[in-house]
Amino acid sequence: MTSTGWSFVEVAAYLLEHDEREAVLGDLVEAGESAWQGLWGVLGLVARRQLVDWKSWRPWLASFGLALPGSLLLMGFSVSVSQTYQRLIHPTVFKATGLTIGPGFTLLLCNVLLLIGWSWTGGFVMGSVSRRTVRVSAVLSFLPCVFCLARFRVESLSRFCLLLFMFPAVWGVRRGLQISQIRLRTALILAVAITLLTSPTWSSSGSWIPNWALSWPAWYLVATAWRGPADAKLDRSRTTT
Amino acid sequence: MLGEFEYLLITAAAGLGDKAYGAAIRKEIEESTGRKCSIGALYTTIDRLETKGLLKTWMSDATPQRGGRAKRMVQVTPEGVLAAKSFYDAVIRVSRGASWVANRSGSSL
Repeated sequence: MTSTGWSFVEVAAYLLEHDEREAVLGDLVEAGESAWQGLWGVLGLVARRQLVDWKSWRPWLASFGLALPGSLLLMGFSVSVSQTYQRLIHPTVFKATGLTIGPGFTLLLCNVLLLIGWSWTGGFVMGSVSRRTVRVSAVLSFLPCVFCLARFRVESLSRFCLLLFMFPAVWGVRRGLQISQIRLRTALILAVAITLLTSPTWSSSGSWIPNWALSWPAWYLVATAWRGPADAKLDRSRTTT
Repeated sequence: MLGEFEYLLITAAAGLGDKAYGAAIRKEIEESTGRKCSIGALYTTIDRLETKGLLKTWMSDATPQRGGRAKRMVQVTPEGVLAAKSFYDAVIRVSRGASWVANRSGSSL
């Protein structure tokens, strides 16, 4: 194999899991295959793996039920939180008006906690529900971000305000990849807290759809914790094997 | 019941014994059948058979002959042996009357 061709094979092999990558690349070296044959073989294996994975409902839920709509809604909520922050406790506002921290601060705090809760639970479910397709889910959650970053036109805010949700979401994905479920008590506290934090919007008729679109991962965590470790182990084997 | 390729893989692995791993099984299948065996087909089938409990796999130590890469070793489980034997018996039974079987019973063509 030429070194350039081999580099392509190695890059493609990064789409495989570590152990499988080692075995496949070793087999290709041992068989003395050409770079193109090797690349074709690796891509074929990646395609077969993806086909097998996408036969399950889990990747569809993680990608199109969570990552894509979740990132769109959370970007909007990130901007809303940033605007609330700017309006309430921006330093220049303080200086000009002498405002003190009032009831608005409680609302801001609630919104920040809600943003963290929604993003973390969404990320956790995205990471735990379908580990092998987490890259596709990540791309689907980044695509709306790239689109919105390019078209963000609010002068008083940095465009990176759109990405506030990313920090807790990435943290959640990492935890979701490490452990398949959290303890029932923790899951219940999270879900109840998130639901209560959405209570100020309950009187508004139009907000229940985005609220529940972002809150269901927290209740999903409760359901998976309720089902117990045996089921989680089974789920884990389904999503990792 | 096993599929044709699953049977080939289990039989090749059983024949190779403790030297059964991805590249060796692939070579064995290609030499026996005269057909190309893709890496994709090989490893997805190994996974499927392992999930069914018919194979056991583990990673060996890295060797310099393979560019310092580890092998995925394969061992046929007792359930795998039974499944392969059942497939083989079925092929033998269904082939009894076929014209290409040398010592077939029944009428000739």
